Amino acid sequence: MMEQVGRGARHDSSWLIRIVLLTVYCLLPTAYSRAQSLPPPPLDAYPPAARAAIARARQAASSKPTDADAMGALGRVLHAWEQWEAARAAYGRAASRAPRAFEWPYLEAVVLQRLALPAAAAEKLQVAVATKPDYLPARLKLAEAVLDAGDLDRSAQLFAPLTDPSCAPAVQFGLGRIAAARGRQADAIEHFQRAIALYPQFGAAHYALALAYRATGRRDDAQAALQRHKEYGAQWPALEDPVLAAVHMVRDDPSALLQRGVKRGAAGDVEGAIADHEAAVAIDPSFAHARANLIGLHGRARNWTKAEDHYRAVVMLGVNVAEAHYDYGVLLGLQAKWDEAADAYRRALALNPLHAEAHNNLGQTLEQLRKLDEAAAAYRRAIESQPTLRIARFNLGRMLIALGRAEEAVRELTLLTEPRDSETPRYLFALATAHVRAGRREDGIKWAAEARDLAVKFGDTPLAAAIEKELARIR
Amino acid sequence: MNRVAIALFVAAIGGANQLRQGYGGPPELYAKAEAPPYEPPAAAQTPLFVDGAATSGLNFTHVNGASGQYYMAEQMGSGAALFDYDGDGDLDVFLVQGGALETRAAGGAAGPASRLFRNDLTVANGKRVLRFTDVTERSGLALRTYGMGAAVADYDNDGDLDLLVTSFGPETLFRNNGDGTFTDATASAGISDPLWSTSAAFLDYDRDGDLDLFVANYLDFTIAANTVCHDAVGARDYCSPRSYRPVPDRLYRNDGNDRFTDVSAPAGIDKADGAGLGVTAGDYNADGWLDLYVANDANPNQLWINQRDGTFADQGLLSGSAVNAAGNPEGSMGIASGDFDVDGDEDLFITNIAGETFVLYANDGRGNFDDVRVKVGLAAPTAASTGFGTDWFDYDNDGLLDLFIANGAVNVIESQRGQPQPFRMKNQLFRNAGGTFVETTADAGPAGATPNIARGAAFGDIDNDGDVDVLVTRSGGAVSLLLNQAATGRHWIQIRAEQPQGNRFAFGAWIGVERPDRPTLWRRVKTDGSYLSASDSRVHVGLGASSAISGIVVQWPDGTRERFAGPAADRLVTLTRGRGQAK
Repeated sequence: MMEQVGRGARHDSSWLIRIVLLTVYCLLPTAYSRAQSLPPPPLDAYPPAARAAIARARQAASSKPTDADAMGALGRVLHAWEQWEAARAAYGRAASRAPRAFEWPYLEAVVLQRLALPAAAAEKLQVAVATKPDYLPARLKLAEAVLDAGDLDRSAQLFAPLTDPSCAPAVQFGLGRIAAARGRQADAIEHFQRAIALYPQFGAAHYALALAYRATGRRDDAQAALQRHKEYGAQWPALEDPVLAAVHMVRDDPSALLQRGVKRGAAGDVEGAIADHEAAVAIDPSFAHARANLIGLHGRARNWTKAEDHYRAVVMLGVNVAEAHYDYGVLLGLQAKWDEAADAYRRALALNPLHAEAHNNLGQTLEQLRKLDEAAAAYRRAIESQPTLRIARFNLGRMLIALGRAEEAVRELTLLTEPRDSETPRYLFALATAHVRAGRREDGIKWAAEARDLAVKFGDTPLAAAIEKELARIR
Repeated sequence: MNRVAIALFVAAIGGANQLRQGYGGPPELYAKAEAPPYEPPAAAQTPLFVDGAATSGLNFTHVNGASGQYYMAEQMGSGAALFDYDGDGDLDVFLVQGGALETRAAGGAAGPASRLFRNDLTVANGKRVLRFTDVTERSGLALRTYGMGAAVADYDNDGDLDLLVTSFGPETLFRNNGDGTFTDATASAGISDPLWSTSAAFLDYDRDGDLDLFVANYLDFTIAANTVCHDAVGARDYCSPRSYRPVPDRLYRNDGNDRFTDVSAPAGIDKADGAGLGVTAGDYNADGWLDLYVANDANPNQLWINQRDGTFADQGLLSGSAVNAAGNPEGSMGIASGDFDVDGDEDLFITNIAGETFVLYANDGRGNFDDVRVKVGLAAPTAASTGFGTDWFDYDNDGLLDLFIANGAVNVIESQRGQPQPFRMKNQLFRNAGGTFVETTADAGPAGATPNIARGAAFGDIDNDGDVDVLVTRSGGAVSLLLNQAATGRHWIQIRAEQPQGNRFAFGAWIGVERPDRPTLWRRVKTDGSYLSASDSRVHVGLGASSAISGIVVQWPDGTRERFAGPAADRLVTLTRGRGQAK
């Protein structure tokens, strides 16, 4: 027995050593491969700013091989530089090192949603929500991801408890989508209408509402909803998301500054946008995109000299010059420098003869210079390049009226009677004028009355009043 | 009215409803009932497709002319046409060539030309030998533009197939002289448009018996105004189409005297913008008149519904086939139009850019569409793909329409950064399992094995062996001829529709193959769809295990219907108008 025990002990000891050795052996290549295979692939191919930022984060992650935060930070950097697959891998590793952390599965899910993989995103979001149930953006994203993955029942269950007012428009939109998918169009319409009442610029909700109206045979309502969808486009109710916002703040390179500047400019913060763009140019004076944007931004702020400086810099750089000439033309037009503006538009058109807006603006400039025939020709070229550029057709119609070619004007302006949006009243008013000039007073009155009614409908009181005054005069 | 008459009356009404509204029941049931379980080929077995380009003498390498300037046109690739130009019963191959963009745009005629390969297929003792001969020079098709796409039709009604080639610059119309040669008829036909044209479709939209022409145009890109764009890490990259403005598409009415008139404005086609890349004609609202669907890059797709008075109205948004569920346009490129769910109407599958997923719009028979990409299982497998050429085709002859997708990125793929041509992706093959799709790329052999920068795809039975093959073009790469090996053992029928007077190849005819106790399989006579490519105009229908065909119904392009007695399966049949029974 003793011997047996002894043998057994020796035997056990030998196995223990073997297991330890085996474990070390197994761990070595794993650690080695982890260090070697940190995402993304070799950085040599990356431009300097991205290479430096990613290399720093990789170095930090490599130097702390068990540190979840370092790996997560690498994920954030990769995410910010839109290295989706690599970011996903880094977040995944961070999550495996810190299974109770919220950020890593959440951010991995955000990346998975960007990669159009909602089912995988939902799995990660489930983990994140379990860790931090009160983080509203995660709960909303989970409901949306589950819906995008096609599980209507579970999605409805996830949307239902989201009663916080900040996410109410998105919740109503989601519930509407579920109702529509189940064929319950009346319910869907109700949800979409609620979403729109809470956030009137909700482009997706207007589109979904249009399809629900269509399904119930309300085609006119559907068309009206589509018109609003067209107006608001991709606008979506924002929900404050500090975890994701932190990712966007990782970068401070010129491109990131430009992106921030563009967003601020779109939100109406012209001074902020200028500051971001100027900061980008300060880092990289050859950043033509930023300089090109600054032509328009400084123009909006009436900083003519600075705008001109950036225009000249873009021309010197020789990058995206056609658009720079166009922007410069706008700038000069704002200063009523008509001859110079016309030259700028012509320079843009020499590079891109199909530039519809440049043709149109050239026409307006020539109008100011009282070159009406040339203006009409420019408007016509704008329409040829882009027949849907309604402003150009309107301008052509006006020019033809001014040139005494009323019948031609009627033909052009008649093409602007649809669609009916906030721009339409003035088109109809111009059509009315053309009819009157062509000797068809009754037609003129009819179109003017329609223009007035439409102006009232769209809340353009001054135009409605002007049309009414003109109507009284015609009558 | 006696009982027999009542029965006939009811049957007639039922038939009409069937054609207009489908079959009433849930399409999934029919489809599921039909789809045999999928059995992947064993490792030792032949893959579903083999590449026969090199062995058959189809030697062609596309030149994209990538200059380092990242000109938008350099990433578009070019297409191909599969058509029997010499009328000898097999499909010949026309391949569109690019070149050095700056040179070509300046009118330079140096460098490689587009090529025409004659199919010299031989069948002896049951053995097929596929062999192509380059007949470009003698045919007169050695076109040296920066070519984009090809469209095929007998526009002059002389019984042979003519060819339209789109380009970065004006398109070129070649009239087939019927003796193996072609004549450039662009000017004499009145086709004159300097815009960047991509895909084109011939259709008889006004039902006057000749084929009109729709040309999709893309962007206002010019070399002189080339925009410099960078990707997310700041490296130079190809621009998004949003960096340029869409240019208007064109509709040309065939005046019947070998001339066309641009009717884009009076027909209403100029009322909507879009950077057009794909186009197909179909009768989406089942009113018997051909409509048009245009896939636009980063702009809402258009569904031009034929108003039956020479005009069209864009119902894309209202129909639910223009944008995704969030109301946002997608980067649409290729189109597959066909009845995937066997309910008697045409559904639309559109390839998009990576991160969007490809979309399947299911038609309710009246031109209203539902986005079913998630429901049918096509969203997740296509999430990482950028797709171009595609079409519905029944590769396994089981009666259900499957999908092939030619993939290739337009922006640098992260994992390929720093490598030459870092845009390579695998093509994809999906089998219709009856209501859902199963990816069978792994079994497809070369069709899906090697990442490439695929663009165009044209479909047709190139070796006349009773299954559909695929010709795939690659940007800056060699053409691939994927010969179908999958369908052995199942039955099929090929149909050539023929009208003695006007539109002889019956483009736009809607053909239903009736089978005992099983739903009718509907296919349209067309060569359009996909991306920059023209496919076989013969209709191919897989029949599955049973060879029984009860009859064939043809709705001719002018809306009249005719029924033909059921032919024997496993052959090509020609249905000549007037030789069947009016229905």
